[in-house]
Formats: sequence, structure tokens, C-alpha cells
Amino acid sequence: MQKGDNDMLISALESKASKDSITSSVSLGAKASLGNGNKTPDCSCRVIKSENFSFFYGRNAGVKGITMEVYPCSVTAIIGPSGCGKSTFLRSINRINDLIPHTRTEGRLLVNGHNVYDKNTNLVNLRRQVGIVFQKPNPFPKSIFDNIAYGPRLHGVRNRSQLQQIVENSLRAAALWDEVKDDLKKSALSLSGGQQQRVCIARALATEPGILLMDEPCSALDPIATGKIEDLIDRLQSDYTIVIVTHNMQQAARVSRRTAFFCLGRLVEYDLTAKIFRNPGKKQTEDYVTGRFG
Amino acid sequence: MRLLIRRITDKFFTVLTSASVILLAAALLVVLGPMLLRGAGAVVFDGTVEFRRMQLDLFNRGEADSIEDEVSRAAACRKVVYETIDKFKHGIDVEELSNEAKRIYRLFGRQLRYEGVTGDEYRRVRSLARELRNRLLEAFGSNDRALIERNVDRVLRYRGHRDFADSAASGFFTLAEDFLTSVESIDLNKRRQYADSLRQAEEIIFRLLGPRPDDALPALAMERYGATRWDMAQQLLDDLLWSKQWVEAEPGRPMVKVRTSRAGQFAGTGLEGLFKYVEDNLETMLRPRFTFYWQYLIDDSTPGHYFGGVGPEVLGTLLITLLSMVLVFPLGVVSAAYLVECASDTAAVRIIRMCINTLAGVPSIVFGLFGLAFFVLFLIPLFGGPSKPCILTACLTLAVLTLPVMIRASEEAIRSVPQTYKEASLGLGAGRFVTFVKVTLPAALPGILTGAILSLSRVAGETAPVLFTGAVALGPPPDSLFDPTRTLSYGSYDIAVGDRLAMMVPHKQYGMVVTLVLLILCLNGIAIVLRARIFRKLKGQ
Repeated sequence: MQKGDNDMLISALESKASKDSITSSVSLGAKASLGNGNKTPDCSCRVIKSENFSFFYGRNAGVKGITMEVYPCSVTAIIGPSGCGKSTFLRSINRINDLIPHTRTEGRLLVNGHNVYDKNTNLVNLRRQVGIVFQKPNPFPKSIFDNIAYGPRLHGVRNRSQLQQIVENSLRAAALWDEVKDDLKKSALSLSGGQQQRVCIARALATEPGILLMDEPCSALDPIATGKIEDLIDRLQSDYTIVIVTHNMQQAARVSRRTAFFCLGRLVEYDLTAKIFRNPGKKQTEDYVTGRFG
Repeated sequence: MRLLIRRITDKFFTVLTSASVILLAAALLVVLGPMLLRGAGAVVFDGTVEFRRMQLDLFNRGEADSIEDEVSRAAACRKVVYETIDKFKHGIDVEELSNEAKRIYRLFGRQLRYEGVTGDEYRRVRSLARELRNRLLEAFGSNDRALIERNVDRVLRYRGHRDFADSAASGFFTLAEDFLTSVESIDLNKRRQYADSLRQAEEIIFRLLGPRPDDALPALAMERYGATRWDMAQQLLDDLLWSKQWVEAEPGRPMVKVRTSRAGQFAGTGLEGLFKYVEDNLETMLRPRFTFYWQYLIDDSTPGHYFGGVGPEVLGTLLITLLSMVLVFPLGVVSAAYLVECASDTAAVRIIRMCINTLAGVPSIVFGLFGLAFFVLFLIPLFGGPSKPCILTACLTLAVLTLPVMIRASEEAIRSVPQTYKEASLGLGAGRFVTFVKVTLPAALPGILTGAILSLSRVAGETAPVLFTGAVALGPPPDSLFDPTRTLSYGSYDIAVGDRLAMMVPHKQYGMVVTLVLLILCLNGIAIVLRARIFRKLKGQ
């Protein structure tokens, strides 16, 4: 494939105007910003930028000197061998890493133009704007309805019919509505693994985030469920910025637009997926994707 | 070979674990079984007509008509007993006979004066009566049969005398006749022994059948009724038929109990047949019937726990238990939440943790004394109240007692909630407090409830802390939180170290203890069912 075609493809994608959102009819009201009262961001502002970002567990570096930019309304994959810092970087984006004691950061990590590690960052709003899906499905031990309505209820939605509409929209977006619509009061833990993960995705979507982080979402699932979730990601990418960490290279190739290759805490190469897999620039990348190590 | 060894060790492991479980169950059965059976005897037993009478009088229970009917039917049978005893008594109770003779003499004199007999006539008749009286007194007091017969004979010669006809003096003749008949059959030398044995037998009959129909009511409630339970009646019957004495069989060896038949003691006298009669007719006299006295659990008891039930004690125990659980539950959960969520690993926090773990093992009587010193003597007066033990201080003391256990269990439960739930909740934008309340706490609830169940059991059965801070053995039901109350645990202790009353009503003691055990089982059962439901909901069924 020639470079010119790719560029056209890229620019075509990036200049796409934001379509009607799947979760359109009822929204959560005016979206709050990340701490400094800006207006509602649109698709072109759903961007993550890392500037020489480092994350330290005690004295060991999880990631060092990461500089990259995640483009909006597309899927970006992060691949690499175990322990290379993919999850660390991902979890820093919405500061879920705060749960771990004795950590510190260097550099800047900007989400929609605001440094998330700044002192006056509104964490509640940040986490509303940036949803996350974890590796092992972790629905709350509540009903399916309560699981998905948890986020909206947190942010002030009390109206019963409003909540029901949001839940239905999220479940449709997560491609789970037809399977569970008969009994939303059922406990979420009684579903299969793939369904539970989709509940988690629906739960993350219910707060209408602009950015969706996915930390190896399919690694605990069987191929059929994995396929369903990959289709889901495909459909969501037009409205959300998705960053997916995966150790499955085929999945990265299938699903993502751009891919970042991490190794030993450093960003080795970040480019279009097609290029990374067919014509990688660095030797390390080539060794990894062709299976010589990793 | 290896496979065989593994099989053997597996089998051994299975056998060992099942054996220990079976052993535990057997131990429980051996310990609890007889206690439960005996305690059930407080509620399910054969109750006599005396019991029904007591229930009617003290608790207004039962139909007065049918009970009266029963009493009158039994009375006919009992009358024989009383008559036999009375007749026999005449022969041996010298003092009473003498008093009776003197009384008749005085009555006769009064009658003469009333009729207007005066002067010489009065003196003559009077001196004649006096002579009769003295002869009778002499007869009563002597052991010589010949003398008695002579005197009585001489008295009876005056029976038809015109002076004594239709007057009070005819009482002399009845007295003389009766005396003669009863004296015919007894050995006069043994009068003293007869008197002693008769007294014993009379006492037992009093406890068996209650006071006589025409006697005055005794002051104590426990003496107003005969044997209320058929098993007690059987025991009294045995005491009646056999007198038991401790004699030294051989010098230097322990004394042995020797039974002698009372009927044999009174052989040849009119009283001999009494014992057989009582034995044969006890059922008719007491009319035992199967009784299911479930009101035992709600009735108040007469002072000394002789009659009645354990109602106030049950109420007191329930009140104290539930109130202290209300105090300890939120306090324990909040402390555990602080220790898990907010406390950083500093030296101060580690010391606090160590203190909590140590306090869990402190003996309960220490807590009792602490409660007395702090709550009763210091804290309540500080707020202006009277410095006396009450329900409030008891609950506070018990809350402090079980707080360490509650905190420990809650801490474990909260810690065991998977980190993933917290991550998911935070990832959706919840703050730490909201995450705790809406996600962590509901997920930790089964473990917390386990701690609550353990605390509940301990609190319900504690005696030492409530000893000083809120329990009494007797008294009215409490009106407010500032009154002391009776409890099952303290009541059991009190009966056990109390006076001879405990030996007379062993079924009450067993009943109280078994009620306590069953109460704790019930409370535990409710809590376990609750916990199981929550657990199932969490697991997704």
C-alpha cells in the first residue's frame, strides 16, 4: 500500500463531521468540563496528548518519556510484551492509578487540553468524560439496570423514565439490549462472561464519555464473545475516541486505526496500523510483530 | 505405591474430618440434650388441679366454674385424709385435748350464768363439771391405759345426767369417747414419736394438697397451693410413704440413706391405712392433666420464682440485646471503614489496631466493672441523671464489650471486597464516600452480618457485665431506659446461688436456661437467614 492512499484515508476519516450519536435522544444535560468551565467539546476535541509523560511506582518506572497524541473519533491500539507499561499508561489517562499508593508522575498528560495531573483537576468530571473498561468483567453485584444506571444516578439523573431511556440506549450501543431486555432486574452476575463485559461497556457508555479506555477487554472471553465486542468497537469508533490495550496483535490489526508499540516502558513506534504491521519502521517493532520475541 | 499412599491419606483425611464433626455434634447433643429435655419440662408437663387453681387466681386464666367443679370433686376424696388425721390427732395431741376440755368447762360456766343459775346450785353444778374436767385432764396426760379407762368410764357415767343434758358439757362426753377410741389402738408410750412423725406427714400433706378448705389462707403465695405438677406430687408422695434418714452404717465410712416405711411407723394405729389411701387416690385428689404451659415465656413470676414464668426476663434480655446491637452495629462498621479506607499505615493506626485486637480478649467481668465505674458512677451523673444501674448503662457496657469483635469482622469483610468494584465505581466518576456507601458496603454486608451474629450471641448470654450495670433479680418491668431490668442470664445465676427455693423448683431453673439458649438460637436463626438472602443476592441468584 502506498503512503499517499493512507494519507487520504486518514484525512478522510479525520475530517468526518460528528454524526448523530447512538445515545442521542436523552443526554445527561450540559456536560461539565475538566475543571475550568469550557464549553461542550465536540468530536475534534476528544483528544489525548502525552508530553514526555513518566509514571513511577516507588522508584521503578512504569512508563518513561511517552510522547504521543491520540486522534479523536478513532481506535488507537497499544501493543507490546507483558510488563511494558501499556496498562500503566492507559490507567493514567483517567487517573485510576491513584488507587495505588506511593506513585508519582513526571511530564504532562493532557486530555482535551487540560493536564489531568494538575492540582485542580476535577476528578469526577474527568472520569465522566473518560470511561474505562477493565480486563476482567466487573459488574457490580446489583441488577443489570442498577449497574448501568449507576453512573447517571451519580451525576444527578433521578427521573425514572429518563434513566430507563439511558439504560436502553446504552444497552443498544453495547449490543446487549436484545439479550437482556426481558429482565433488567436480573443480577448482572448471572450473565455469561461476554455478556458481563458488555454490561461493563454499557455502564461506561451510560455517562456519555467522549473517550473510552479499554484495558484488554477481550482477554478473558471466548472467540465468539470477542468477535461481538470487536464489532461493537467498530461501531462505536465513529462517536468515541477509543484507546484499546491488547496483547493480541491480530485484534489490534483488525480493530484499530493507529497502533502504538510499547516496550520496557518506552514508546518505540506509533503509526498507522497498516504501516506498523506491514512495514514497521523500527527493528524492535518488526521483531515483535513477526513473533521473534514477545 | 505412591497412588496407594495418596489414597490412604485422602481416606484418612476424610475420616478424620467427619469424625471431628460427628464428635462435635455428639458433644453438643450430650450437653444440650438433657438440658433441653428438662427445660421442656417447664412448659410441657402434667399439671394438677392445684396448678389450674393457681393460674386462675394469679393470672386470671381458665374458667372459674370448671375449676371449682374439679376442686369440689377432689375435695370429697381429700376429706377422708383430713378426717383420718384429725381422729388420730385426738389420741395423741394431749395439749390440744386439754385445751379443748378447759374450753368446754369455761363455756359451760358461761352458759349456766346465762341461764340464770346462781348461788349454791351454780356452785354445785360447776364443781361437778370441774371434777369431770380434771378427770379428763388426768386421763389425757397419763400413759397408763387402766387409769385412762377408769377415768373415761367415770366421766361417761354422767352422760345422761340431768344437769348436763343439752348443754355445752356434752362436749366432755364426745371428747372422752373419741379419746377412748383413738387410744385403743395406739401405744401410749410412743406418743412422742407419733407426734413427731405425724407432724412430718402433715407437712408433706400440706405441700401436696395445699391448705385445708376451711383454714385461713397463708400469707405466702407459694403456700396457698398444693403440688402444681404431677412429677412434684410423685416426689412428695415418695417422701410421704418413706421417711429417709442418714445413718452411719459402719464407723468411719460415709453415711448411708436408710428408708423406713412410714406406714410401718404407725402400724396398728388408725393412721396406718392413710398412706395406702393417699397412694391409691392421689390421682383423684389432684386430677393431673396434660398441660402445655406456653405462657411460661410471657408470664411474670411470683417472688422467688416459685410459680409463673420468665416473661420479664425474656423481655429484659431482648431489650438489652437489641438495644446494644443498635449501638454497636453502626459504630463498628464506621470504625472498620475508617481503618480500611482512610487510615494510612502510621504507628498510631497500628497501635489502635493492636488495642482493638487486645480488647477482644478481655474478660467480660472487667468490662462489667468498667461499665460500673465509667457509665454508672461517672457518665450518667455527669449528664445529671441518678447514679444507678439501668438498661442504658447495661447496653453501653455490652456495646463496648462486643465492639472489638464487630470491628474485626467488619474490617475483614470490607477488606475482602474485590478491588475491581472500587475501580469500576471510581472509573465512573464516583467519589470515595459514594463508592463506599453504594458499592463496598453492600458487597461487604454478609461478612459484617456474620460479625453481628457473633456479637448478638455473646451479648444475649452475658451475665458479668449486666451484673453491675443493669440487672436485678426481682422487680417490676422497666418503665424507661433508666430503670434496671431482669434478664435470663442473671436470673439463672441468681437461682443457682439462691436459697433452698432453687432445689424445690429445678424445672424453673432448667426452663430459664433453656429459654436463654432457645432465644439466642432464634435470634441467630433470623440473622443467618437474613445474611443468606443477602449473600444469595450478591452472588447473583
